[in-house]
Amino acid sequence: MGIFETLKKYKWMLPLIGKADRETKSILLKNFRQKKKNFYPEGEYKADIDNLIKCMLCPNMCRFDCGTLQASNTESMSPAYKARIGYYLSIGKIDPTQPENKQFIDLMYKCTNEENCKVWCPFEFSVVSLLETVRDDLNDKGLMPDYCKGQIEKLNKTKTIEDYNIFETFKEKGIENIKTDGNDEVFYFIGCEMMKFPNVVNANIALLKKAGIKFSTNLEKRVCCGAPSLTIRDMETSKNFAQENHELINNTGAKVLVSDCPGCVLTLSERYKNVGVKIDTKVIHIVDFFKTLIEEGKLKPKGELPKDLKKVAIHDPCLMTRNLKDITSIRTVLKVIPNLEIIEPIYNKEYTHCCGWSGTVHWADQDLAIKEASNRIDELKETGVNLFITACPLCELGLAYGLLDNEKEKYKILDISELLLKVI
Amino acid sequence: MNLENFEIIYKENRIEIKNKQKMKEKLIEIVGDGNVSIDKIDLLAYSRDSTLITLNWTIQGKIAGLPDFVVWPENKAQISEILRLANNEKIPVIPYGEGSGVVGGAIPIYGGIIVDMKKFNKILEINDKDLTATVETGINGMNLERYLNAKGYTSGHIPQSLYISSLGGWIAHRAAGQFSTKYGKIEDMVLGMEVVLPQGNIIDFKPIIRASTGPQLNKLFIGAEGTLGIVTKATLKIWPFPEKRALISYAFPIIEDSFNATREIMREHIFPAVIRIYDQFETERHFVDIEQAKDKVMVVFVCEGNKKLVELEETITKEKCENNKGINCGEHPVEHWFETRFRVTETSTMPPYKIVFDTLEIASSWDNAAKIYHSVIDSVNSLKGILIISAHVSHFYPNGVGIYFTLGGVPPKGKTEFEFYQKCWDTTIRGVLDAGGSIAHHHGIGINRSHWMEEEWGKSMDIMRNIKRLLDPNNILNPGKVYTHIWKGSES
Repeated sequence: MGIFETLKKYKWMLPLIGKADRETKSILLKNFRQKKKNFYPEGEYKADIDNLIKCMLCPNMCRFDCGTLQASNTESMSPAYKARIGYYLSIGKIDPTQPENKQFIDLMYKCTNEENCKVWCPFEFSVVSLLETVRDDLNDKGLMPDYCKGQIEKLNKTKTIEDYNIFETFKEKGIENIKTDGNDEVFYFIGCEMMKFPNVVNANIALLKKAGIKFSTNLEKRVCCGAPSLTIRDMETSKNFAQENHELINNTGAKVLVSDCPGCVLTLSERYKNVGVKIDTKVIHIVDFFKTLIEEGKLKPKGELPKDLKKVAIHDPCLMTRNLKDITSIRTVLKVIPNLEIIEPIYNKEYTHCCGWSGTVHWADQDLAIKEASNRIDELKETGVNLFITACPLCELGLAYGLLDNEKEKYKILDISELLLKVI
Repeated sequence: MNLENFEIIYKENRIEIKNKQKMKEKLIEIVGDGNVSIDKIDLLAYSRDSTLITLNWTIQGKIAGLPDFVVWPENKAQISEILRLANNEKIPVIPYGEGSGVVGGAIPIYGGIIVDMKKFNKILEINDKDLTATVETGINGMNLERYLNAKGYTSGHIPQSLYISSLGGWIAHRAAGQFSTKYGKIEDMVLGMEVVLPQGNIIDFKPIIRASTGPQLNKLFIGAEGTLGIVTKATLKIWPFPEKRALISYAFPIIEDSFNATREIMREHIFPAVIRIYDQFETERHFVDIEQAKDKVMVVFVCEGNKKLVELEETITKEKCENNKGINCGEHPVEHWFETRFRVTETSTMPPYKIVFDTLEIASSWDNAAKIYHSVIDSVNSLKGILIISAHVSHFYPNGVGIYFTLGGVPPKGKTEFEFYQKCWDTTIRGVLDAGGSIAHHHGIGINRSHWMEEEWGKSMDIMRNIKRLLDPNNILNPGKVYTHIWKGSES
């Protein structure tokens, strides 16, 4: 923001500045002119210094809803402090090249991308959007942490975020692969992590079939959406995934792409723009699609759920409610299930709390991610319900980490499609 | 990382700890390995609170004060043991909640051990019949209020720092919220407390509705700013979430008219939850789109609670405003206040321009209120370098008000930002005392006001120091605050 724009924003100050004596005016104008010289890095950089400064000087107005801060209970994890360290790394006050400063670099990755902070931010940005720009500079200096390099290596080697190509496991998991004939109505884009939950994938396939949808899954050709590399900010790798998926999607001829993973939906619909790729096919979450199918009468819930499934608490995936801004699909679908009692946790909809398994924190500090998951489980337990319903594979993974071994019999986590299928 | 790279502002009286490793091991014995840190990343994180001058230092790569250890106790017995150890080793202990204080209360100016209370974050009990909540003091204010709201209650304590402050911080600084005119201040809300004393003894003040049991010792710890004990648990009053809210606003020709209207309302024993008077300058700043308020003094009211009572309060409030030249501005200005009351942006936007910015709250009787307002505005305005001095009035009593000044400026040639900051503070406080006011309404004393305590309290300050010596003979708990003059060279 230039001098003029800044003055415009703070026009209430103008009469006061006008009244100030000549010396004060001169000092103030000098300070305005020298802001960048005084406080910005020299040379080329990608860090969003303007907003890092705003964030680090904010009294942490989002702190109460920052999942990593609430999980760690340490000031060192507060959003404004992360921005402060990002700023110091950017201006060289903390030298990122010194091995003793590794913990400061690690802090740039201890975020779940849940973006609760954005809800409360007086400047309306998310902290991770700032940290990502710091990561850009770290990457340019060859300082990407090893735990991120490991993910990139896996992505490049297996085309998924696992040590092996998880899509190739469909046969052993009993998942049907439906190849495209180039003229699909729908492309069911299964998330890498959802491949760990074959019951969910099979439920989705069964529901699409029951609704009479012509669709494909193309598991023999599938690769990750590239979300992890976008988060790590390896843009070259991200671009490769974007281009590969762009081609695959086009080849299906599908009018709509549905995914069971809100992270995939966000990546395909929004984040590919960051690497210059645009997906023209409509991309939506599969629950959103089921909602439409129910409204159109193509899916007709009937019958009774088993007794132990009749009362559920909703865990809203943060990617779905805050990033995709969809708080209605899950509820609309659940409400048509006969005799289902739905309990809302205190923190729900756009105020939901993260499962701990998004972003980079579970690579940078798995214990912290598990503590965040455990905090969310505690909030879900507070509802008095034993069955938690979600719509995201990362949430299923994270929440499962949050349960103690001796609680796993008592509490169950299900994807919404598994529940829906029981009454279709 | 070499923290010597960061200039420390408060460094004169830092204690020297000879064997830090040994001390760390002793702390680990008390709280466990994962609950002690001497890592630079943690020490830097606890080097300041939210005192506004520290933001200017932050962007300049300076540190307000640097602790030697950070510990995260999980129970009161651990706090007790930490304090016993600190007494043996003569090392300062600084309680730390959410770090939202604005007078330097949590800055480790002598170094020592930060005791972070964040793990004391549980809501232990809600008693619907008694309308009380028993809560650990490290809990964040917004998280407490959201939980209470979900259960159908409110604490009634809604400071502007709600998102960033803790129950322990409220108790430590005798805090007041924006809805305090109806619900009271924190000292009106706390019925019972558990406190760990400086030498490690744990005392439990049971929840008492009201008592005639000698001097009320428990009150000593509300406002002690962590110098007399660490409060670990409190039983608070809570209220059913209000059934109805009425939003009222009036614009007055001059501030005296707004004082008259609000004073008359209070005399009727009408307690709107919120009353806020904005002087002409702040009206221009916050309500620029309200045509009727141009060049006037805006007052917003929120009446809430039982529907019939709210309707009555609304009627009387409007009547008193109209009798004092008030122009009805409707609900919109109050809605605007609700929307923007937590949007704090100035702290982020001023330091890059080396603007020194702060807010100071003071208390006054009705008789002196206008005099204090004008006295402070005039005296601060006369300072070289000042750009902004304005006020709003945000806390109301039948007998007086709390006035909240906002000031900002750039240091004149030859003065540092810190020197200019101190000058602004001291000029404001001088103006308040000269006009018969009290130096702090709800932010507390900390470092910034401690050198004014004799003038505020007179000889009773000696008694206060004696109490401190009695409870904390080694001056372990939060030294350098409240009783000690740290700002040398400031006029007082």
